[in-house]
Amino acid sequence: MTSGRGNSCDVAVIGAGMAGMAAALFAAERGLSCIQVGSGGGILFASGLLDLLGVHPVAEGRLWRSPYAALAALAREQPGHPLARVDPGAIRTAFESFVAALGEAGLAYAPLRGRNRSVLTALGTLKTTFGVPLSMVAGANLLEAPGGRQPCLLVDFRGLREFSARQIAATLGDRWPGLRCQRIDFPGFEAVPELYAAHLARALESGETRERTIALIQPLLGDAHAVGLPAVLGLGHSRAVHAAFEAGLGLPVFEIPTMPTSVPGLRLLGALERVMAARGVRRRHLSSVRALARNGNPGTMTLELDGVPGGERLSARAVVLATGRFSGRGLTADRGGVRESLLGLPVQQPASREAWHQRDFLDPSGHAINRAGLRIDAAWRPLDASGQPAMPRLYAVGSILAGQDWMRAKCGSGLAIATAWAAMEQVADHLGGAGAG
Amino acid sequence: MSRTLFHMALYAALALGALGLLWRMAAWFRVRIGPDARAVTPAERVGALFRGAASALFSRRLLHVVAALFLDVLLQRRLYANDKLRWLGHLLMFFGFMLLLLLHALAPVVTVPLFPGYESTLAPWLFLRNLCGAMVLIGIALFLYGVWRRRTRFAPVRGPMAAAFIALLGFVLMTGFLLEADKIASPQAFHRMAQENGVTDPAELEPLRALWAAEYGVAFSDLRQPLTPELLEKGRAVHAEGCESCHARPQSAFVSYPIARALASVAGALDAARADVWLLYLHVFACFVGLATLPFTRFYHAVAAPVSLLVDAAAPKREFSAAARASRRALALDACVRCGLCDTDCSVAPLARHLGNPTLLPSHKLIATGALAGGSLLASGHEDDALRAAEGAFLCTDCGRCTSACPVGLDLEDLWEAGRGDLAAANLPAPAQWVRARTASAWAELLRQGQSAHVLSDPDAALAPLSADRNSFSRCVQCQTCTNVCPVVAHSTDPGCGVDLTPQKVMNLLRLGMRDFTLGSRMVWDCATCYQCQENCPEGIRVADIMVELRALAVHRLGAVRNWKAPS
Repeated sequence: MTSGRGNSCDVAVIGAGMAGMAAALFAAERGLSCIQVGSGGGILFASGLLDLLGVHPVAEGRLWRSPYAALAALAREQPGHPLARVDPGAIRTAFESFVAALGEAGLAYAPLRGRNRSVLTALGTLKTTFGVPLSMVAGANLLEAPGGRQPCLLVDFRGLREFSARQIAATLGDRWPGLRCQRIDFPGFEAVPELYAAHLARALESGETRERTIALIQPLLGDAHAVGLPAVLGLGHSRAVHAAFEAGLGLPVFEIPTMPTSVPGLRLLGALERVMAARGVRRRHLSSVRALARNGNPGTMTLELDGVPGGERLSARAVVLATGRFSGRGLTADRGGVRESLLGLPVQQPASREAWHQRDFLDPSGHAINRAGLRIDAAWRPLDASGQPAMPRLYAVGSILAGQDWMRAKCGSGLAIATAWAAMEQVADHLGGAGAG
Repeated sequence: MSRTLFHMALYAALALGALGLLWRMAAWFRVRIGPDARAVTPAERVGALFRGAASALFSRRLLHVVAALFLDVLLQRRLYANDKLRWLGHLLMFFGFMLLLLLHALAPVVTVPLFPGYESTLAPWLFLRNLCGAMVLIGIALFLYGVWRRRTRFAPVRGPMAAAFIALLGFVLMTGFLLEADKIASPQAFHRMAQENGVTDPAELEPLRALWAAEYGVAFSDLRQPLTPELLEKGRAVHAEGCESCHARPQSAFVSYPIARALASVAGALDAARADVWLLYLHVFACFVGLATLPFTRFYHAVAAPVSLLVDAAAPKREFSAAARASRRALALDACVRCGLCDTDCSVAPLARHLGNPTLLPSHKLIATGALAGGSLLASGHEDDALRAAEGAFLCTDCGRCTSACPVGLDLEDLWEAGRGDLAAANLPAPAQWVRARTASAWAELLRQGQSAHVLSDPDAALAPLSADRNSFSRCVQCQTCTNVCPVVAHSTDPGCGVDLTPQKVMNLLRLGMRDFTLGSRMVWDCATCYQCQENCPEGIRVADIMVELRALAVHRLGAVRNWKAPS
């Protein structure tokens, strides 16, 4: 394999969202040298919850207790869906591997038990997901308790506009009689009119603020069996902060993810950055790819980067496109239709703009535009207009792929992790087969 | 030359020079630079000098001072470290000049007592004098070459007195060489000497003339006999008797002798015009002019720069008392030789070129600092100069490279700090300070009132390419990531002195086309440029770059409506 120095690498990953991060991680785990280009800012929109597959079929909105049963149904009924192309055993391995890496980087997840979980959201709704951070799992346990929902106290902070315990209690109260809410002043920020979750999270990493907060909650506990708080229990040291709250209150404590962008998103980005550093992935997080071309030298590709003075030129034996959809700017939409932004690859899309959306914006079956994306061959290579792989060593993963509606199917992280794993298997095969030293 | 005239001129020049020196040196205790300098009296500053000198002389610091005398003053160690060519030029000029001063100009009091039998026309003095003169001339040439080579848009301000000093020095050297050449070639001088030594008999005089024409370069126009070996042999016998004890062959005067040969054809005419007399007058009186004007030409650095170097060796820079620091700053105005080495090393030199404002550069800033202390910078009518000086003063990054580069050991960082204090006292503080005088909305209102006169257009877009271009911020989805990661917002837990806007609100004002409301905001001005916002922005918006740009724009635009007036 190519040595991991300078501007050349085995695999260049374009994109630093969930799919790009997963691809870079799996490349490194396979011993491939890897350079990742792009800002990880998109990760900040994540809630920290790792969905695998929650809903199928989308039009029926059917929730699944077992994501693997859902995957089997998907494979039967929608074989073109990217997730249906990945072997369920590989998906299991990929998730274990991803979660283990996050755990090493200090972001612990509850053990994956092969089933979906229910998690409380800041709106008072229940969300079906798969991987749950350890700091949130007590809430899922409470919701799923076989003997019915135990009394629980939700606490919020005056001035934290994005999180209202009262709203959650009001929404869920009729189905959860023991759910109470309380509001307290955040210690040290009493005079500040507007609070920001990340600032509170950092403040709680100081023992003194933590103890004062615990002391404020203590007299409010009453009959509660657990305490729910907005997700502000620490940033880099969230395990220790969460443990200190549980020890101080003597009860299970769980975080409820706040509206994006949120502290769990910051934690996830921080953990993934530590993972990349630990695995030797070279990041170009301030750069973007201006141009990608096959090199004269067969078997390598050249990436021209913007974002640093004078630009930079990378050479890679394989390139993984993980640039996301419209928000990640992997796809560009205009009056004429949808294009792939970097190479102008053909995008599978509705024939005309009128067909992009249903008449009803909230139509449960979703919109055709949300299923637009790149078509790929069996080796995860995007196709050109003639239906052939656009480049022999160009692969595409994540939400840019056609034939899926990850938001409605609750399969965002699953799509990212599973397709990254499967594509990287192909990359390793191809590069190994190329016989380079 | 008349001895009376010579002595009168010498003493007058000495007196003028001494008075001038006293006047200039008194400024070291009188000129006040920096707010702390106002708190100490000249008497305290003189006292601090004596205390400092005493503590340096009676401690191990003395070793530093002695080392500085040799290494820094005489051998110019600091110049050597910074610029070898300039060091060579300076060393040639310095040692050439000092040796000429001691061995030639002060010969009656130095050379004669040291070397019994000294005659200026004997070896090795002929050679040495020419060597020293040549050293000085080469030094001047190197200096002028260096000035030419380093010519930039913002060369150090040297002024007419620097040029006058170099011209005077060159003039003294040239008249000296011409005088010596004239004396070598002059038949008249030969005949006068021959007469004084009693060689009047033609039987002796003719052979001697033949010898001096052949071997001593005298340009006789009336030799009667051919220069036969016999004739020269006779001449040598006469020479050995009366001349040899005082006259060596002049060929070792390797500058003057070729000039003498070149002047051979006009030697008679020069004699007729009494060239030896007026060349001597020009040579000596040029020296006296130099002596009398010493305190007011660049030559003054020969006094102030060594003092600065020795003071610098006497104590570490930060150990000086307020009184001593005040004197050091005043001394710095005199000791600066305008060599411009500081300008070459200055971290913000590219900025000076970009802004077209030379007062960012140390050598210019030193002059502005002096003008500020002297009051001329704050005189009404000079508002633009004062504002530019303030711009220069506050764009300095205090990197300290000027101080390290200075060959005369000035504590320039201290001088800049003092100057900024004086500027602040004149209501010209750093932009981050004066911008606080009003709230963001008050500034916006001021801009609105002042704006009717001119419409913002292209120059504005050039200064602020990001905040003038919708595409750079329109992608903002107000997700608060920038605010969440901002340590400045996180730190401002006190609503009384916290930031007024958060980064995402600044972005929102830009989206709303209300940029003027951001210019004076605490967020823009308190931004620590840690770049967390920019690195984390999910939309890739250059938030921190925009903050920096807004500050630059604010200096420009709020500065225009700030309406600063010189204190009357």
